[in-house]
Amino acid sequence: MRLELKNISKSFQQKPVLSSVNLQLNENQVISVLGKSGSGKTSLLKIIAGLEKPDSGDVFLNQKSILNKKVNQRQIVYLFQEALLFPHLNVFDNIAFGLQAQKVEATEIESRVKAILKEIALSDHSSKFPLQLSGGEKQRVAFARAIIIEPQVLLLDEPFGALDVETRENMQKLFLKLIKQYGISALFVTHDLKEALMIGDQIAKIDHGHLRTYQNKKDFIQDEKSGVKEEIDFWTKIQEFE
Amino acid sequence: MNLKFTYTKLLRVIFLMLILLPTLAGFTYALLYSFGLTGLLSEGFTLKHWTETLSDFYAWKSIGFSLMIAMISVFISFWISLFLVLKLTKDFQKKWFHRLIFVPLCFPATVMALYVLQTFSKSGFFSRISYQLGFIDQIESFPELTNDAYGIGIMLTSVLMVFPFFTIYIKNIFDAEKLNEYQQLSQSLGASSLQTFWKISLPILWRKSKLTLMLYIIFVMGSYEVPLLLGRQNPQMITPRIVDKAQRFNLQDIPQAYAMALMYLGVVLILILVTSASFVQFFKRKSDA
Repeated sequence: MRLELKNISKSFQQKPVLSSVNLQLNENQVISVLGKSGSGKTSLLKIIAGLEKPDSGDVFLNQKSILNKKVNQRQIVYLFQEALLFPHLNVFDNIAFGLQAQKVEATEIESRVKAILKEIALSDHSSKFPLQLSGGEKQRVAFARAIIIEPQVLLLDEPFGALDVETRENMQKLFLKLIKQYGISALFVTHDLKEALMIGDQIAKIDHGHLRTYQNKKDFIQDEKSGVKEEIDFWTKIQEFE
Repeated sequence: MNLKFTYTKLLRVIFLMLILLPTLAGFTYALLYSFGLTGLLSEGFTLKHWTETLSDFYAWKSIGFSLMIAMISVFISFWISLFLVLKLTKDFQKKWFHRLIFVPLCFPATVMALYVLQTFSKSGFFSRISYQLGFIDQIESFPELTNDAYGIGIMLTSVLMVFPFFTIYIKNIFDAEKLNEYQQLSQSLGASSLQTFWKISLPILWRKSKLTLMLYIIFVMGSYEVPLLLGRQNPQMITPRIVDKAQRFNLQDIPQAYAMALMYLGVVLILILVTSASFVQFFKRKSDA
């Protein structure tokens, strides 16, 4: 097992945000975490990344507790909703950042960055600065920057939320391709049902700080509380209306 | 539509007049004065005043001294402010704490200078306390912190006046530029706190604040009341030196005062051009390394 959460609880100003959350993420697995705004999704990811401390519970990576490890020593990359490319660095340097921080040799950095730039179809943009890129291009660079360091776990906090439908679909495909290619385990947070079903090998749903993980997608679809039924009803009604 | 267009045009003209007219008028007048083309004792075009000013060692020394004081003051203020913002992030979320930093900004430069004089001079508060506590044998043994040769008193006052503004300014940049998120992301990508500071926080902060820092260097460099109260005749900061020259009984010195003021202006302009280009290169090299 790659990542395990045991009884994670967190409150802000005595208001519980996460209540005894348990989760298991296997190697090369992607779990989609569905939840509305304020359901505790971001807090959950930040606790795993080490950006916030839980009130109780523990986080295990490869069977070892990482609760007291610093953010930069966890080998867990947290991707924000926004691409957050470093504005003073060009595309190449943005992608190379993590490798440079790990003091990887310059020649190796160059070959790895060039290879991933090819994967994300941005080879011609390596010397461009973030301001010169579109929203989709920025997200591709953000992805490449995270994946190139081959983290143990990748945490994605609604990364495609701000993209248009077409770019979003392209990004979802690219994400699935790269995540399998690099063999990375990931927690993918979204509020979009279709996206969750498309991306995740397994689905989890968070509601008012309570996390429920479904055994498989079929269980999730059959659960009346999952929201799938409402979605199907909606599209059926639309078709009838037409 | 036409009315709106005329109104906007008029506003632009007023804006340009307010910005350019006094500056250009002052500049032209100073230029004419320094070449002997105007003024009470004008004798027609001459390079005499410029030759004397450019070869005046003390004029250059004043410019150098002013620049040194301004750069050190702004440098210290910047780092104090940055340290406060980084270390007291949570405190700044409290309203009362955030408002407290505005208090020193209410003090006029003269009041702050007098406060520093009363507190840090040889006969001031700290000197007397040190004497009473037995740290020094006599009051005169207290180190020279005001009216001193290194401009410590001037720098102290400048720092006290500038750092609260920088703190507010840097805090605003942190919030507006999402610097906390950039820092978290950088560490999540494996960078240490130190790497994050040098490669991410500081370059982003510098990009946003370099112009303001430069303006404050110019502002401190041109201060008058503070060096007048806390400075010396030698070395003397440039503004009191220019005023000294302009207000002397010898009217022949006035053109030299104007020449000196223009020389100072030229140095400031060169400074802006050179530093803005070189610092960008510095950070680029640092992030490449």
